[in-house]
Amino acid sequence: MRRLLALLTMVGAAMLLLEVSPGTAKGDPSPAAQASADQNLAIIVNQTNTIDDITLKELRTVFLGERSHWPNGRRITLVMMDPGVPERKAILRDICRMNETEFSRHFLQGLFTGEVFVSPKTLSSPTGVRKFVFNVPGAIGYVRASDVDGTVKVIRINGHGVDDPEYPLRFEARDSK
Amino acid sequence: MSEASHNAKASRSAFQRLLQAASSQIARHSSSLLLFMVFCVVIAVGVFMIGDLHTATDQAQRMYAGSVQGLRQIGELQYEAQETRRSTLYALTTNDSNLQVEYADQSRKADGLVTEGIAQYLAGAHIPRELELGKRLQRDWAAYLKVRDEVLASILEGSTKEAVDMDLTGGVPSFDRVRQDLEEVKRLYDEQASEQLKVVGLSSRRSVLRLVGVLCFTLLFAIASVWVIQRSKMLSALKLAKMQMDFVASVSHELRTPLAVICASAQNIADGVVDEKEKLAKYGSVIGHHSRQLTELVNQILLFASTHEGRHRYALRPLQTSAIIESVLTNTRELAEEAGFTVEKSIESNLPPVMGDFSAICQCLQNLVLNAVKYGGSHPSIAIRAFRGGEDVPYGEEVRISVEDHGIGIDASELQQIFEPFYRSPVVKAAQIHGTGLGLPLAKSIAEAMGGRISVVSKVGVGSRFTLHLPASQVVGAENAVERVAQL
Repeated sequence: MRRLLALLTMVGAAMLLLEVSPGTAKGDPSPAAQASADQNLAIIVNQTNTIDDITLKELRTVFLGERSHWPNGRRITLVMMDPGVPERKAILRDICRMNETEFSRHFLQGLFTGEVFVSPKTLSSPTGVRKFVFNVPGAIGYVRASDVDGTVKVIRINGHGVDDPEYPLRFEARDSK
Repeated sequence: MSEASHNAKASRSAFQRLLQAASSQIARHSSSLLLFMVFCVVIAVGVFMIGDLHTATDQAQRMYAGSVQGLRQIGELQYEAQETRRSTLYALTTNDSNLQVEYADQSRKADGLVTEGIAQYLAGAHIPRELELGKRLQRDWAAYLKVRDEVLASILEGSTKEAVDMDLTGGVPSFDRVRQDLEEVKRLYDEQASEQLKVVGLSSRRSVLRLVGVLCFTLLFAIASVWVIQRSKMLSALKLAKMQMDFVASVSHELRTPLAVICASAQNIADGVVDEKEKLAKYGSVIGHHSRQLTELVNQILLFASTHEGRHRYALRPLQTSAIIESVLTNTRELAEEAGFTVEKSIESNLPPVMGDFSAICQCLQNLVLNAVKYGGSHPSIAIRAFRGGEDVPYGEEVRISVEDHGIGIDASELQQIFEPFYRSPVVKAAQIHGTGLGLPLAKSIAEAMGGRISVVSKVGVGSRFTLHLPASQVVGAENAVERVAQL
């Protein structure tokens, strides 16, 4: 009787494993890479923007409002998501290297001293961010890679696309807690 | 070869007879034909009216599809264009970026509908003015959208003043141009609708006129037909009444003459004027002769009446032509001799027997002989010939018995009428030749009842030849053949 129970337990466990990782059963090449790509943050700009690639350093100056115009002359409009949203946390951590308080203080101080040229626009949803970027030629924002569609343009960072393993902007699961 | 020729002749003859019969039926049933024509005309008018109604309905539907739906589409375009601009202006009224994005989205959805509507308008444009207007609208709308996009971008960037300036300098004029274009499209649709309304109105009036015309024509045609039918019936009735009056007059005269002779003779005998035995015998002979004449006349009238009503029955059997002729000559000899006529008889040898009722055929032939005597004129000679007829008859073979005189003859125009009951030619009336007008119709009825016919060839002043055509019996020499009864 005990042996039968053990056998049933093992079979159930095996079925649960299969259910949790269907990609394994279908034979996808790299489940880890797939999960990684889903967790990457895409930097998006308007389709008319000529920029294709940007360094992490340049991205930091843009997101800190220290750069006012794109090479094509369009004024930069920074789009951020509401405070507390995981994507925003990731941007503050990986690009701005600040926490929320420091980021707010930076803009208040910068606008007062004139060192910051751009005040970020705040939107509550990735769809809103995408639509904003679509409507404003000089806008730049971020959304999860899975939220990207054809209305906006995704730019590379340090030469790496959003699907590359070396892509530097990752949205980690713990950010959503 | 001869059998084939015989068959072909028989077929041709049958066809000719069929045609003659059809013509006769048509002439007899002209009223029915006219009514049928009226019916056809009414049906044709009905079909025409239905067709006309269909045309009018199609025109109205085309007008609705072309103009009314077009106007509705333009109304929708105007609304969506306003919605495009309204949503853009709403975005100016708030600083909330989320709301601004929502308004921008609404504006873009509305402009998509306008762009699609303009494309549809261009696709449906047929006349140059429509095409030109559609292209201009498309151009102006694209120009407005360009400004609108910049205005939206400025609003979303937070540059409200810049957005307002841009809208005032570029957006308002370009949107006014779009609005004017749409108004012009609407006006064009209005004009087209008015024109089509005029066309439908004209078409409707034309249809009404056509219908009135056709109905008038139908009414006139129906009235004319009824008039013709009634007139025909009235003329027939008048003709029949006149014939019957003539008949009564003739019969009265025919009755009165022998009756007067009989009465006078009887009176003389009663008064003792006639006392000698020889004279008495002569008076008796006169009374007997005129009594027989009276009986003959009454019998003929009764026979015609029964024949005409179809009550008479004939017993058909094979008969020898010579026996018929002999019987007729015996019956008419006294009359012919009194009138000073000589009768020449000629009977072809080996004639087949004919199928018929002996007494009826004798009566028929006797009528022809009596007519020859009556209308024989100043040449008192009659020729009776019996001979084998042609084989191109429907019933195979026939025997013809002709009675020819050299009398007054008959005008060609009267050849058909002489066989009508009670008909008497004006010529014979004028010549004081008495008769009832029943002899020839009776002879014709009898001939047809025997399956034969009577033909006549005549020329005024030369004489007439009446020929009795009788079908030959199929059972040659069958004296005990089974009698068959034909009912008329």
